[in-house]
Amino acid sequence: MPTLSPDEWLAISPYLDQALAMSDPERAAWLRSLGERNPTLVAQLTDLLEEHQVLSAEAFLEKGGFGLPNSAGLAGQTLGPYTLLSQIGQGGMGSVWLAERNDGRFERRVAVKFIHIALMGKGGEGRFKREGSILGRLSHPHIAELIDAGVSAAGQPYLVLEYIEGDSIDAYCDRQNLDVEARIRLFLEVLGAVAHAHANLIVHRDLKPSNVLVSKDGQAKLLDFGIAKLLEGEAEDGTATLLTVEGGRAMTPEYAAPEQVTGAPVTTATDVYALGVLLYVLLTGQHPAGKGRRSPAELVKAIVDTEPTRPSDIVTTERANREETTTNAARRTTTPDKLSRLLQGDLDTIIVKALKKDPRERYASVTALADDLQRYLRHEPIAARPDTLAYRAGKFVRRNRIAVVLASLAFLAALAGVTGTVVQARRARAQRDLAIRERDRGSRVTQFMIKMFKVSDPGESRGNSVTAREILDKASAEVDTELSKDPETQAQMMDVMGNVYFSLGLYPKSESMLTRSVDIRRQALGPSHPDTLAAASDLGRTLSMEQRDQDAEKLLRETVASEQRVLGPEHPDTLVSMSRLANTLLGQNRYPEAEQLHREVLEKRRRVLGPDNPDTVASMDNMAFVFMVEQRFPEAEKMQRDALAIAARVQGADDPYTLDSMNRLARILSLEKKFPEAERVQRDGLDIQMRVLGPDHPLTSRSMYNLLDILQSEKNYPEAEKVARQIKARQARVRGPEHPYTAFATYLLASTVAMQGRKSEALSLLKEAVDHGLDAKTHLAMANDDDLKSLHGDPRFKALIRRAKEQASRPAQN
Amino acid sequence: MRPDATIPWLIGAAAQGDAAAADALFSALYAELRQLAKRELARPGAPVSLSATTLLHEAYLDMAAREGPSFPDRARFMGYAARVMRGLIIDHARERHAQKRGGLFELTSLDTNAAENAVDHRELARIGEVLEELSQVEPALAEVVDLKFFCGFSFAEIAAMRDVSERTVQRNWEKARIYLHRKISVDSLL
Repeated sequence: MPTLSPDEWLAISPYLDQALAMSDPERAAWLRSLGERNPTLVAQLTDLLEEHQVLSAEAFLEKGGFGLPNSAGLAGQTLGPYTLLSQIGQGGMGSVWLAERNDGRFERRVAVKFIHIALMGKGGEGRFKREGSILGRLSHPHIAELIDAGVSAAGQPYLVLEYIEGDSIDAYCDRQNLDVEARIRLFLEVLGAVAHAHANLIVHRDLKPSNVLVSKDGQAKLLDFGIAKLLEGEAEDGTATLLTVEGGRAMTPEYAAPEQVTGAPVTTATDVYALGVLLYVLLTGQHPAGKGRRSPAELVKAIVDTEPTRPSDIVTTERANREETTTNAARRTTTPDKLSRLLQGDLDTIIVKALKKDPRERYASVTALADDLQRYLRHEPIAARPDTLAYRAGKFVRRNRIAVVLASLAFLAALAGVTGTVVQARRARAQRDLAIRERDRGSRVTQFMIKMFKVSDPGESRGNSVTAREILDKASAEVDTELSKDPETQAQMMDVMGNVYFSLGLYPKSESMLTRSVDIRRQALGPSHPDTLAAASDLGRTLSMEQRDQDAEKLLRETVASEQRVLGPEHPDTLVSMSRLANTLLGQNRYPEAEQLHREVLEKRRRVLGPDNPDTVASMDNMAFVFMVEQRFPEAEKMQRDALAIAARVQGADDPYTLDSMNRLARILSLEKKFPEAERVQRDGLDIQMRVLGPDHPLTSRSMYNLLDILQSEKNYPEAEKVARQIKARQARVRGPEHPYTAFATYLLASTVAMQGRKSEALSLLKEAVDHGLDAKTHLAMANDDDLKSLHGDPRFKALIRRAKEQASRPAQN
Repeated sequence: MRPDATIPWLIGAAAQGDAAAADALFSALYAELRQLAKRELARPGAPVSLSATTLLHEAYLDMAAREGPSFPDRARFMGYAARVMRGLIIDHARERHAQKRGGLFELTSLDTNAAENAVDHRELARIGEVLEELSQVEPALAEVVDLKFFCGFSFAEIAAMRDVSERTVQRNWEKARIYLHRKISVDSLL
């Protein structure tokens, strides 16, 4: 095919305009008359117009997944005994051509498959050859047959396959208006083909409607073993188990099994899953991941994480657009209601079992799936059992674990994207002065990061809090190496990570990130820059949570003073820092100062932010807390109830801040000696926290202490002991066996045991606490602790107190 | 070139054939669109992918609001911005390819436009090169491809922008397609 020079193109261009504006008969007449005067021009034009026809038919550049026409000029060429006629398909691996034999030996049309030119010499050839060898092993009436294979004169490998003239299985079923039973029978042919492949140790891995054609005589034919996997041999070196796409071949996410997405080993169960999706689509007309356009990330989440809607539910009119469900049912010669009833029960159970997230829970083989479908058709009891509710609940934890792995992958990808942008930004800055916009961009980067991280912030994720550390730890390493040349962005990222560590309760890590962020910003932006101050304020909060009171107070006082000067006395950021300062004072038992500061912040927030703003509510919580520690219980209860009401209404019952508010109300109620009500509120809150934050989160732990306290006050010792043991186990796990908190938990357990009169056990627990880091304050108070009253007079207790006093008089270890 | 060159000024200068201004305009718009994409995608509840059309509209509104009444008309802006978008999409495909090689899996997107679904980033890059060439020969044709293929505008929208009939746009599209196809096929003949 000759190419056109720019001049030639410009010369022919106006004629093309004319030709394209005409109808077919008009154009033919016009070309004829033009041809009499200028045959060369018309030859060229005809050539281009034919090309245009082909391009229109192919919808070149118009539909997704177009392939470049690297072989568009192949029509009419011969390959061995075959003449190529027209391109009939384009896939990730290459293109497929319709061809016929030219040696007159057979009157048979065939499909010739070429490897994609871009994949030549990149391992694609090997895979292509393997497809040939795989097909050569298979001979089944429902698998498209391999007829020949070869290499063209130009070195292009090709496969010659049985040509199936027909529709994809879903289109065929719809066009023929096949009912459910007929669809199942046709599907059983596909199962036969896949079972045959499995028997030959071949996993197809890409089962989907477009790879299952139904010929004109109604026979299902399985095609495209392009990414099929041989079960023997390959798994040993591990290279072929991951479905990454070194050859540019993307898997088809709509039919991918969870293990294909997560990179777990692919087995015959992978095909069982894809067949489950296919059956789902054939019977319901919808995809198990639900309706609507989805992004890849959403789809991945659905594949790995979301239990599919039951087939019988998805076909009802409530679930989807009425018109569509009615059409879907009509294509199955029924109504939505009847279709739903038909699917309910056995077919639901069969499909759900094929679609299990865990490959081990799917049908053990394609044959087992086929057997159940046969039983269904014969109206016999099927082998699969429906899920129970308890069973479904048990799945929850494991699924979330996978979700976290995915989130971390997504995060790392995002991080790569972010650093790319930063580099880009640097270049732009060299060209023009973009200083102000640069800063803007930076904060957008941070926004982006925050969004990424929110998956792991319990406030956002409602779960997964602890495993999310993996994401952060990886990110911390990245931020050191990747961004060392860009300190401002580095500081921003450290700030974000420091705050996420904080919200996960990992204070030392939070402190080290935030300290670096503050240092970098002081250097780069100066000590009074709002960003520097914001980071300092965050650091102050972390220090305060670590009970580093002096450091926290000093830092926060400086920060508040600077913010009042730089941002103004009512600026929301200034108020945040003031509130943090107040909390630090509170931690030092300086109640009047704390109360005054909190009250000031509350008033300003009500005015500046409005009464329903979460920060205003947080101020109310703080006030309630101050009232509580000042033992002004009626005021505390009222303030806390008001705060809780707003939080539950505005932020929702599962919000961590609402939960915190609930905890505090329980605490206040118990201080007012309203124990039964306190216990009820506390248990409600704890249930939600266990679910939302997980058992290891500090806030959950605080609630457990509160509950223990309430139960002890109620004299419900057995329950109290149960809770105390949980607290102790949790602290030992999270803080380590020598941590003062763990020792204190042991001490609390000891007192609970002592209250029940089990003296020896209580004493040995007390000894454990004293010997393993119990703090001096508690040591000294031990002799007078009423909770240990039952031990008074016991010589072992006296000995233990002496020992504790000795330890307390030693210089503090840290 | 003026150091304080604004985008309206750059568009004006580029239209008069100032090559340096055209380069500066390209990088300014590139940065702008990329930044906007990031921002849009960072919004709570944002889709994971963003259509190029939406992005261009937002970019126009954003910049028009910022630059004030001197900002050029939407049609003129889109002409430039669509070309920039092409560059952005090709770069994106290349980056994704690079990530892919880094071991992350790649998924066929369900809802991105045609360009995103191109089988190979090299093919996309090649389309970009041929379009660059076409823009020297018949700029109007190249622009239709940028607007339709890369940015996802419909014929009707492009016609309204260009103030020509829809049929003209369609004809230009068909011609451009023949041109591209021919050039690219010749490159990659077996």
